[in-house]
Amino acid sequence: MMRQKIDTCDVAVIGAGPAGLAAALGARRAGAGKVLLVERERTLGGILNQCVHDGFGLFLYKETISGPEYAERLAEDVAREPIKIETGAMVLDLSPARVLKINSRAGYRLVEARAVVLAMGCRERTREMIEIPGTRPAGVFTAGSAQNLVNLQNLRIGNQAVILGSGDIGLIMARRLVFEGVAVKGVFEILPWVSGLERNVRQCLMDFAIPLELGATVVEIRGRDRVESVVVAKVDDTLAPVAGTERVVPCDTLLLSVGLIPENELAKRAGIELSPLTGGAVVDESLMTSAAGVFSCGNVLHIHDVADWASFEGFAAGASAARFAAGEMPARETVRVSPGPHVKYALPQLLTRGTAGVEWSFRVTCPLRNVQVVVKGKATGKVYARKKFPRVLPSELQKIKVRPAVEEDLEVSCHE
Amino acid sequence: MSENAPVDRLTCVLCPVGCELEVARDAAGGLDVKGNQCEKGIPFAEEEVLHPRRNLATSVPIKGTAARMVSVRLSGTVPREMLFPILAEIAKLRPEAPVRRGQVLIANVLGSGVDVVATRTVL
Amino acid sequence: MERPLSPTYDVVIIGGGVVGCAVLRELSRYDLRLLLLERESDLAEGISKGNSGVIHAGFNVPPRSLKARTNVAGLKLVYELASTLGVPHRKTGKLVVALADEDKPRLEELKAQGDRSGVPGLEIVDEAAIRRLEPLARGRWALWSPHTGIVSPYELTIALAECAAQNGAEVRLEAPVESVRVGNGLFRLATPTGEFAARRVVNCAGLFSDEVARLAGIDDFRIFPYRGEYLITDKDCGLRLAMPVYPVPPRDDPGLGIHITPTLEGNILLGPSAEPVGDKRDLATTREVAARLKAEAARLMPEIARVPFIHSYTGIRPKLFDPSGGDRFGDFIVEESKRKPGWISLAGIESPGLTAAPALAEMVVAMLGARMDLRLKSDFIPVRPHRKRFAALDDDERAGRVAADPGWGEMVCRCEHVTRAEVVAALRNPFGARTLDAVKRRTRCGMGRCQGGFCAPRIVEILQDEGVPVDRITKRGGGSRLFYGRLKG
Repeated sequence: MMRQKIDTCDVAVIGAGPAGLAAALGARRAGAGKVLLVERERTLGGILNQCVHDGFGLFLYKETISGPEYAERLAEDVAREPIKIETGAMVLDLSPARVLKINSRAGYRLVEARAVVLAMGCRERTREMIEIPGTRPAGVFTAGSAQNLVNLQNLRIGNQAVILGSGDIGLIMARRLVFEGVAVKGVFEILPWVSGLERNVRQCLMDFAIPLELGATVVEIRGRDRVESVVVAKVDDTLAPVAGTERVVPCDTLLLSVGLIPENELAKRAGIELSPLTGGAVVDESLMTSAAGVFSCGNVLHIHDVADWASFEGFAAGASAARFAAGEMPARETVRVSPGPHVKYALPQLLTRGTAGVEWSFRVTCPLRNVQVVVKGKATGKVYARKKFPRVLPSELQKIKVRPAVEEDLEVSCHE
Repeated sequence: MSENAPVDRLTCVLCPVGCELEVARDAAGGLDVKGNQCEKGIPFAEEEVLHPRRNLATSVPIKGTAARMVSVRLSGTVPREMLFPILAEIAKLRPEAPVRRGQVLIANVLGSGVDVVATRTVL
Repeated sequence: MERPLSPTYDVVIIGGGVVGCAVLRELSRYDLRLLLLERESDLAEGISKGNSGVIHAGFNVPPRSLKARTNVAGLKLVYELASTLGVPHRKTGKLVVALADEDKPRLEELKAQGDRSGVPGLEIVDEAAIRRLEPLARGRWALWSPHTGIVSPYELTIALAECAAQNGAEVRLEAPVESVRVGNGLFRLATPTGEFAARRVVNCAGLFSDEVARLAGIDDFRIFPYRGEYLITDKDCGLRLAMPVYPVPPRDDPGLGIHITPTLEGNILLGPSAEPVGDKRDLATTREVAARLKAEAARLMPEIARVPFIHSYTGIRPKLFDPSGGDRFGDFIVEESKRKPGWISLAGIESPGLTAAPALAEMVVAMLGARMDLRLKSDFIPVRPHRKRFAALDDDERAGRVAADPGWGEMVCRCEHVTRAEVVAALRNPFGARTLDAVKRRTRCGMGRCQGGFCAPRIVEILQDEGVPVDRITKRGGGSRLFYGRLKG
């Protein structure tokens, strides 16, 4: 038991990436007194600092800028407010009573917050999690780690690379490597469709004649000390490798862009309910989790493809946290919202009974054309909202607003 | 007249509609663009197929350091053929600290009409 | 090129695994000039890092065999050593499970074997007792061994060497013995960085003990490598396993069968398999074996089939015979060569080698002492400098550490809560091991669910701060480099 005094604050925001920076601002602008922003890196900005390419800010700043610029602009807004910023400080534990254990060079201490916003972002799926057999040589990197080493440490991570996964991070790194004189032998994607934006396929692969193979994966890594080659094979509809389709691709580097996972260690320690569909917390329309006064936003809540939306979620979560800290958020009855056919998840998963005008974020399970997304009551079958989409992709987060007040459990589904 | 096979298919990014465009060669050797719901789609597709323009982003070390990096990008797009020559120019950069976000590191790089600008502040 | 003249060592040990390091520590009690030569870039790079980490009670091996005698003697010693050296360990007990009634006689055979070897506390228990002892295990009958335990084999190896080093023993890494000259009562061992003369040599080179012996003109045994693959679960897999659960040893398995073992950190290990491999350094995992591991483990523990795995690894057993030839048992070899007196070889040290290590060390000392004057030091330090990990400290201890040294306030490994101070201390180890895996073994950085994705770039920064040039940053030495220079400049 700590014998030291416990610090207090109104709102503590954990993580200062696009969501956390926005949450701190959102909390201040909603009237929170003492706002604490805790960031484990030495600089603010989170993952944005290594995303040197542009494409950020279209919605928040009405122009497309690079990740570092977006982060700096948000950080400048934060600096203009009396928000207490701690960098190089990591939250090691969060209790359900909202006590944070923070470690930094300045000291190890406890902080009790009236409200907390979780904005810790995500981590990357690893080689071991997708169980690629073979040896364990040097030269296997997750795409985000590689991006850090290339953009922030000026390191040549290899000479000939293969990339597994066609998500945007993999595509962006393909181009980045080519820009630095590293040959990219090919991008392999296990699904029959591309995960990333079409624009990135053009500008990162087609521009440089980098082959893209769908329905294929890496089935073995070879090389004793350093990667010497990978074996790739086609997969069938169950995503299992097809015997006889194997071929060896010589390379010294393998980049893995095979998925992002919300980093919810702290949420687990606080006993917060997580959704297996998103990997993030189960939240209501105020973005509050199952722990009273603990809110969640950004990639730690669900993986975003547009940083601006992570920020918008952050502004909202921060504002909710401020209201909770001020005692303006009584406990209320909720109804559940679940995904139906063709919908992977819909967020928020809970809705305060009787609320109107809430907007849901959702993702579909596979690419579809000419669909109608319907939000309907599970018990009554009443349709609360309908929206047509000429095309939907799993890689694009979509929205649908429900105008009427809702008194029952809902289902969000997608129909052709 | 025989069917012209499409030379390219691309999604227009000028507005949220995201028209799926199909570009083919017409009888006169020019481009025939289909699928656009407004006239902006045609020059968009023509430019992308005939004179694609690109931006680029990379990072360079602060002078005197091995790995204190400044991220940079171009202030606008350039013809795609200029990417590697411009990267070679950028690779020579060793800006001295402090560098401010937006600071021009190379003005009108290789006569392209765009600048190489720093995208973060390094003190 | 003139090789630098070095002093003559009383004993040189070849091989820095758990056996070599146990011998080193035991010898460091005496007034002897000692040197350990290890070919890789860190200790415990061979079998000592590729096993289940089980402290065996001694019933798995035929009574009166050297394996049995050193296992039973080593059992007491290993627990004491782990405590003295501050190496985390736990006496968990163990169940060997029979899924069907017809396997019960095999359990009784094992018990009888253990009883004859003097293994204490063995008991045949029924289904209800199995449930009580380990709720996750399934079986009709089981052999309950209360003295079996778990320990981190590489932490033990490193701790043994650190203690020996503190007592004056020298260790050289990246020092493979490439040739041996014998003459004038001395062995001259040539490595790439120097030649070393020794009055006595103890060959603990594990998988390569046969090749090293042949360098000295000793061709008495041959090693057959048998690879075993393992899978490791996420600590948060939702299953809490209290003790190792083994099947009745399959008759056609050159090992102990695919078993399920907890680690001290809360991961669960599945494995190992047992396949012959042609290359002693072929550490690849395969899809087929991974599937078989899960299927076999699920028979002992159905829940294990559905948990997330975060890592896989392999270990290679140094068998002294080819099991596919039909032989079932090969004993440890611990012998002084008759043709080259003064050269002691330890070979075939597979399971229960970890448990037997301290007893093997005492045996080697006795053998050396027969023809050598061994005088005990009066100032032998039995412990080693050791600090508890940050992650294991309570709040007040943490606050105190950080206040005294801010390096304890800087987090490097998010998953395992390792601080910069610990990474720096690991890199400043007395042996000069400065690879990523050396940091991993000493701090647990990279062993969490992100498998180094977050911490590796930070460790790369720290390595450079500690003076390692970028091109010399490796995963585990040799050609396992991470980088090819800088991109610019």
